Amino acid sequence: MKRPRIVVGIKWVPNTQAVRFDPKTGTLIREGVPSIVNPHDLDAIELALKTREKYGGEIIVVTMAPPGAEEGLRHVIGMGVDRAILVSDRVFAGSDTLATSYTLAKTIERIGRVDLVFFGQETIDSSTAHIPAQVASWLDLPYIYYVESIEKLELKENKVVVKRKLEDRYEWYEVELPVVIGVAMHSNPPRPISLTNKLRAVTEKPIEVWTNKQLGLDPRCIGLRGSPTIVSKVTWQPEIPRKRKIYQGNPKEAVKWLIKHLEEEKVLP
Amino acid sequence: MSSRESGNQQLLKIQRIDDLLQRNLWDVDHRPHIVVDTSRCTDCEYKPCVLLCPAGCYTLVDSKLLFSYEGCLECGTCRTVCPREAITWNYPVSGRGVLYRFS
Amino acid sequence: MATKFDAIVVGAGPAGATAAYKLAEAGIKTLLVERGRGRGSKQVFGGRIYVTPVREVFPDVEKTAPIHRWVKREKISILHNSRILSLEYESPEKHSFTTYLTEFTSWIVDKAINAGAVYVDEVRVDSIVEEDGRITGIEAGGERIEASIVIDAEGVNRLLLEKLGLAERLSPEEVALGAKEVIKVGADKINERFGLEEDSGLAWLLVGEPTDYLPGGAFIYTNRDSVSIGVVVYLATAVKKAREEIYRLVEKLRLHPQLRQYWEDGDIIEYSAHLTIESGRRFMPRKLATSGLIVVGDAAGLLLNTGYTFRGVDYAVYSGYLAAEAAKKAFNLGDFSEETLRENYEKKLLGSFIAKDLRNHTGVEQIMHEVEFFEKYPVVAIDTARKLFELGYETPRIQEALRSSLKTHHINLLSFLYKMFKMVRKL
Repeated sequence: MKRPRIVVGIKWVPNTQAVRFDPKTGTLIREGVPSIVNPHDLDAIELALKTREKYGGEIIVVTMAPPGAEEGLRHVIGMGVDRAILVSDRVFAGSDTLATSYTLAKTIERIGRVDLVFFGQETIDSSTAHIPAQVASWLDLPYIYYVESIEKLELKENKVVVKRKLEDRYEWYEVELPVVIGVAMHSNPPRPISLTNKLRAVTEKPIEVWTNKQLGLDPRCIGLRGSPTIVSKVTWQPEIPRKRKIYQGNPKEAVKWLIKHLEEEKVLP
Repeated sequence: MSSRESGNQQLLKIQRIDDLLQRNLWDVDHRPHIVVDTSRCTDCEYKPCVLLCPAGCYTLVDSKLLFSYEGCLECGTCRTVCPREAITWNYPVSGRGVLYRFS
Repeated sequence: MATKFDAIVVGAGPAGATAAYKLAEAGIKTLLVERGRGRGSKQVFGGRIYVTPVREVFPDVEKTAPIHRWVKREKISILHNSRILSLEYESPEKHSFTTYLTEFTSWIVDKAINAGAVYVDEVRVDSIVEEDGRITGIEAGGERIEASIVIDAEGVNRLLLEKLGLAERLSPEEVALGAKEVIKVGADKINERFGLEEDSGLAWLLVGEPTDYLPGGAFIYTNRDSVSIGVVVYLATAVKKAREEIYRLVEKLRLHPQLRQYWEDGDIIEYSAHLTIESGRRFMPRKLATSGLIVVGDAAGLLLNTGYTFRGVDYAVYSGYLAAEAAKKAFNLGDFSEETLRENYEKKLLGSFIAKDLRNHTGVEQIMHEVEFFEKYPVVAIDTARKLFELGYETPRIQEALRSSLKTHHINLLSFLYKMFKMVRKL
């Protein structure tokens, strides 16, 4: 029986909790800030693992990052993914979402047969949510986002039914494979790291490093040269100090109290 | 994004525990690593956890004990001082919880 | 998964990482398991490491360890009522250094990895497996890995040893709680404000006001470009006598009108807390090894707290080293029995400077529990000094100043002298 091949694209991002803003120079202080796997990508990994539990197959994680990202790849291998590809080369430095999605799409092409491509909903360091859509576009594949679960996967018929969550409703889609799927944030909380999987991440060699030697991409389409985005300015929205007013008493009075205070603060007209 | 502006004007007064904890790096698990059976706390006279938890995870709301694991510094004090053995204590899994860099 | 190891070390703190390094160096197939992410991410200590025992294990410590500053100035102060009474000591020798334990531990973990140990982070070990009266491996998340020997370096919270029945649940009498802030100030400012040279540092202990007169003390250590400030309170007394949250005590120390000048333009870069053993001798498990298991570091009760000296990291490193030596012998003999391990580890440890230290200072913690020492005596000392130094018309003799201070605080002179004598003898 045919087993699904699932690719999950993840991003190695600076832990934004630790990033500070220097108001004098108007730049982000990234010095000494450790990186983590983008938390929303872990939902995608988890959904991939659940899919594999049900239908078997193989999960391959792909990321484009400097060599330090191996730590993050070991983390997701610790969760149970089968293998990982680290796309890492100086020529990819300075990529915007266009160049990144192009590089990732070419990487996925090179992997060979792929049935499902998962991404997290967005990243915590830029929140553009460009990548899954652009990868789908490069690969000329359908793209469904806010997906919560895989309802039915029929490789023989070459189709999948997914459920996605919108603000006010659920929607079910039946699509032809392969398909790119954006997994809704917080929809699939990641499972713990397992001892034997983590051990495998260290003792076996499940992480391959691909440079542009393997991919052979046109230098005009990758890295800084392939990136038309210009960041003109970064500004900082300082946190608004909380008033920390707490009402204690019965709910009926609380409503009046709340409206009165919201009016005073000019939140309500 | 919970990043904050660098600078220390606000540091000239006593910090609230939440603000102190914000100085650290965290990767908090969605599953709590500590569970408190607060039904055992009602007749606990001292409630030493409230003053001694260095992360202020134990608070009194209307004289009822409220526990939140998110800011836990994983020191083990609550487990040690609890006179009612009301705390099922463990460390977080998967490297989650607090991530020290300068201690 | 058919991976099998000769040795498994639980916990990559200074003790565990050292044991793993020494085992791997000897060609023993070693797995080092750590619950934290990366290296050293769950590590907290006060601020300094004594170098001599560490040098015996790591001869390159001075050249390659992440040393921030060599402690060349020691200071002990009593703080009360806006007055500070201090004892200061300065030496040109390099006996101890300040660092971040997170960095120091990383340094040892890297050595272990380079020596061939398999390092697995982000995995919390749930139990040490015992079968037919001997330890056969570890279990985490329902998965088991076997080994001929397990080294338990789990730290002060001995969840694993408790499960094995080798340690009791912690009681407040056994430990103190330390909470600390690290404040980034800048190297130049530290040098200027504390009057320090480039690589020299200060270790400063304070009693009285900083702990709200609770048994314990406060500390200030200078790191490369930051200071570590913190408060340690003995839980046994704090349980009943604490009037304020411990983090507020740390904050008050930070904002203390006579101390804040050193760091007030700095930024708090971390806030941490940790339990510290009060009496290592009493905390020590009944046995430090059983069939297939050796206990090291904090878990073994290897920490000295005399009230003016805290030693733990060097003991941890040294015990890890002794454990590895004993395990090496066990592999040579093919004998992992309790007798052999206790003979080669426990006996060595009990004969070492560590056990000698712990024995020597037994009883100090009893003094530390005497509330008077922290509640009344600091006040008397400051009062006496005030009478001696803050002169108006009259100039009292020392004896007069002391007597009248004791009287003000309703302390009998004889009992005071007796207690001081007792303390000096214990110390």
